[in-house]
Amino acid sequence: MNILLIDDNQNRAQAIQQALKGSQYSITHLVSAGSSLLREVDIAKPDMIVIDIESPDRDILESLHTLNQINPKPIVMFTETQDSQIIKRSIKSGVSAYVTGDADPNRVRAILDAAVARFEEFQDLKSELKSTQNQLGARKTIEKAKRMLIEKQGLDEDAAYKAMRKMAMDSGQKLEQVATNIMNMLKNLP
Amino acid sequence: MKIHHNTPLKVGFVKLTDAAPYIVAKELGIYEKFGLQVELLAQNSWSTLRDKLEMGLLDAAQMLAPMPLANQVGMSGNRKDIIIPMITSQNGNGVTLSKRLCEEIKLANDLTKIPFPMPAKLLKKTLERRIKDKHPKLKIACVFPFSCHYLQLIDYLHVAKIDIDEIECVFMPPTSMAISLESGDIDGFCAGGPYNAKSVRNDTGVTVLTSYDIWQDRAEKVLAITQCEYDKTPEVFQHLCAALIEACQWLKEVPNRFEAARIMSRDQYLDTKIDIVAPSLLGSCLTEEGQSPRHLPHYNRFSSIFSAADDGPYAVNRPTFDQAEWLYGKLQHVWPHAFENKIAEQVMKQCFRPDIFAKAITTHKKHINK
Repeated sequence: MNILLIDDNQNRAQAIQQALKGSQYSITHLVSAGSSLLREVDIAKPDMIVIDIESPDRDILESLHTLNQINPKPIVMFTETQDSQIIKRSIKSGVSAYVTGDADPNRVRAILDAAVARFEEFQDLKSELKSTQNQLGARKTIEKAKRMLIEKQGLDEDAAYKAMRKMAMDSGQKLEQVATNIMNMLKNLP
Repeated sequence: MKIHHNTPLKVGFVKLTDAAPYIVAKELGIYEKFGLQVELLAQNSWSTLRDKLEMGLLDAAQMLAPMPLANQVGMSGNRKDIIIPMITSQNGNGVTLSKRLCEEIKLANDLTKIPFPMPAKLLKKTLERRIKDKHPKLKIACVFPFSCHYLQLIDYLHVAKIDIDEIECVFMPPTSMAISLESGDIDGFCAGGPYNAKSVRNDTGVTVLTSYDIWQDRAEKVLAITQCEYDKTPEVFQHLCAALIEACQWLKEVPNRFEAARIMSRDQYLDTKIDIVAPSLLGSCLTEEGQSPRHLPHYNRFSSIFSAADDGPYAVNRPTFDQAEWLYGKLQHVWPHAFENKIAEQVMKQCFRPDIFAKAITTHKKHINK
């Protein structure tokens, strides 16, 4: 797993690199870098980005994310904040995790593991939500096509649905696809 | 008089010229005058400033005006409860291009001198020429997606029928822009002060236009707080607004502006030479080394210079529905799915809060008439 570490604190960066030797994580370290960060993200295509919360480059990452120019990646941030309640609250955001204190090198691996796990969980949740939304969309399309068949072809509800289901089975298409085809066809009829 | 609150109140700001009200209120003792103890905390990025506000690590912060709207629609941050009790500045951004690009523009348009403000059509011709010569897209840097800078750049290009995708827009903190312009990593940027003046003084860039040439007197930076914290101690935040109103009104007078520039140039604030900080505050837009500056009284606007008959001295700072609508419309143009029509009114009313501002005015009047 490729990690891009952005940290102006050289000592901390070194300690982290040391702590992760021999683990699944391989680290590229950058100091707050401005435009060279954009190049680095482009070339290294990191799987995960670890950044100091105080780095001015946070806005670069956030912007890339907003404009969907990078795939979602877990972003771990180091902060000096000691308040665990505050950190817990921010972790809920899913994409970013806050790590307390000066990132004890002995804990770094565990923290990264947790961040990856939490990130994947969040991605699952997001894709689940997406598939639910898709299903809802499909149901709406089918309903609409059915209504058009009733109105324009004079079928009753049951007959309309059966006709669509038969077409789907005969053609090997999904019911939603059949519904879309019917709508496109009937739209052009008077 | 002392207002009871967890002392000191933590207020975040970014090291920009339009942080002036926050800084002079501290240095002139205005916060104390309104019974508050305030600790100003400089932030290096807008994302972190927003996160700290949401987490309660900051009680209030200077923020890009479109950010709270983006927060309320769920595009920025997590909690959807950032609100705007007052506007703290209007205008103040500029577009600065590299000297190399300026030469290219002159060549493409057969000009010996670029007129200021530079019409976007000059850029159009330059882009056409670049396509013909198979040169890569121009790279222009902006500070943040949910910023007036980005929306203004889009509007400016639109005038000459240039789509934002015809250039490459990259985002980076303003602190990185001057260096990137010098190294040739970017061809230009749209940022707030003092970064435009800095590039002109270094003779690495030319400020070809300001945001005032694109939008006139629209909200630029706002005071941002969370609804949740406001509900706990509304009086504290009303006093904070009143203190900032007082600071904005102090900044109305040009002689005071120079004093503000002196204060702001100090290490703990902008840490920049006064000849870079002062011009925009004095209504002067530096254009190019060796050229006369442009006279632009509204370059940094914190309060009305001429109080409008209807709204008096509070007009600039009032977070009106009209200001919200303007920004929402521009955001909708870029992100139509997030900034939908059907939620527009609710989001704008939740976010822009003339009701809180009205209470702050009452507090302000009470104090100055004492």
